Amino acid sequence: MKTLIKIKPKTYAAGDIVKVDFMAMHPMETGMRKDKDTGAIIPANYIDEVKFLFNDTLITKMVVWESLSVNPLFTISFKVPSAGTLKVIAKTNNGQSVESSESITPKG
Amino acid sequence: MERRSFLKSFTAAAACMAVLPRMASAADEAKKNMGPNEMNYATALAAITGGKAVVESAKVKIEAPEIAENGAVVPVKVTVESPMSDKDYVKAIHLLNTKNGNARCANIYLTPANGEAFFGTRIKLGGTQDVVAIAEMSNGTFLSAKQNVKVTIGGCG
Repeated sequence: MKTLIKIKPKTYAAGDIVKVDFMAMHPMETGMRKDKDTGAIIPANYIDEVKFLFNDTLITKMVVWESLSVNPLFTISFKVPSAGTLKVIAKTNNGQSVESSESITPKG
Repeated sequence: MERRSFLKSFTAAAACMAVLPRMASAADEAKKNMGPNEMNYATALAAITGGKAVVESAKVKIEAPEIAENGAVVPVKVTVESPMSDKDYVKAIHLLNTKNGNARCANIYLTPANGEAFFGTRIKLGGTQDVVAIAEMSNGTFLSAKQNVKVTIGGCG
């Protein structure tokens, strides 16, 4: 599962509220769709939990269901306290998990 | 006489056997069509609030298109007015739809570290329906907002 973390705006100071975009390349199968050729039901495969951590302290936890779009996007606000590491852990309903991180470097 | 009764019972048994699996498979089929997380809006709402009152409030804002050409990708943003201090903050934002097989989209559990109560995502909508955001405040009350989204092409399947 490929992931991407984006901080907007690109430059920010400590104390600023920034938007954090987390994108995951994931099919988000609902478990209701049928294979067009075989007619077999494609098993459910979706991200069911996303956690945002800053220096290993939980900021936001999301419980997610299959109603989210393919290659889902999760945006949250985050008040930058200091420099550190932002970590995002995403889990799927069948036990897969992916971890990605981005360094937070406030200027000024 | 014996042969006749045997035949009779045999055909009855055969008929039963023919009917039973068909009934079972019909039930299975219905189950399959339900999807793994089937839950209607009322049940999902009750699970979140535990029966508490939900007040529609201007403090909760949903940004979603009024007409979505493609139901597979509907951008939704939710903002809740709150100081997000340690004592007064938004505990959670619950994003729901009213007519998909599973009414739940996402539950977002926030902390004061967020700075503001905001959540943005893209959801799938099976048809024209309401998108509902429920904000769970730190004092235990629930505020909500909804927006109707007209879907031209369904996004499920």
